[in-house]
Amino acid sequence: MNHLGYLFAANLFVWGAIFFYVFTLIKKNNQLKQDLQLIKETLPKDSES
Amino acid sequence: MNEDNESGPPILIWFTVLMFIAAISAIFMYVPTEKTEGIIQRIMYFHIPCAWLAFFAFFIVFVCSILFLWKKDREWDIYAHASAEIGVVFCSLVLITGPLWAKPVWGTWWVWDARLTSTLVLWLIYIAYLMLRMRTDAGSMRARYAAVVGIAGFLDIPIIHFSVLWWRTFHPKPKMITSEGIGTGMANEMVITLGISLFAFTLLYFLMMEQRIALEKMKDEIDRLKREKLYSN
Repeated sequence: MNHLGYLFAANLFVWGAIFFYVFTLIKKNNQLKQDLQLIKETLPKDSES
Repeated sequence: MNEDNESGPPILIWFTVLMFIAAISAIFMYVPTEKTEGIIQRIMYFHIPCAWLAFFAFFIVFVCSILFLWKKDREWDIYAHASAEIGVVFCSLVLITGPLWAKPVWGTWWVWDARLTSTLVLWLIYIAYLMLRMRTDAGSMRARYAAVVGIAGFLDIPIIHFSVLWWRTFHPKPKMITSEGIGTGMANEMVITLGISLFAFTLLYFLMMEQRIALEKMKDEIDRLKREKLYSN
């Protein structure tokens, strides 16, 4: 049985799914870091006023 | 808290990348082609590590859920939630790579045998776990309900493992760990390749956990600061 293309496609799918999940995690992490920074910056200003 | 995670653990990242290069090289260049199934059998080197990782992740959910119910410490709830999500990702990959392997070998994508069905049940249990967390309000009750589901769900894993021995199934019996020992049912090259792949995937789990835990802790921190801001106004 020669299924080289099929095997390649299956592997590509697995790796694609793993990379997509890791990429989503990193993106969410960066977004939250920015949000956290923004909130921390606004907090002292509020307490002063 | 998060400042510590900003740079990440570079040694772990590079070691994981290195192990994956080794695993992929071994899968496509080192390991011999299986005689009956042919080249398609190489899906096994992704399918089994994904299954191992899903089971390992759900085991961590099980342990952390027990610790949460015992200690009532939010930290354990965070670990359980993070591990459940990663477990679902890899359980999904098991349910995808399995049929991809089955179609050319069995002639069908899916059969309702004990191993496949119990794995699907496991996936549904932890999907329910994640939905429960999404749909209920944050707080100790949500964490408690989730912990109970996390513990109960793990009971399916021994059923999955022994299903091929207890019932007659399409799914083959374990070859890696048999009554004669570890790796006795496979060629040495296959055992080595599978070992490298299992190790690489386990490292990936720890990397994902590190990211997922940091994410959950940042959400907590943002919620805490928002509450502080609300009360100060």
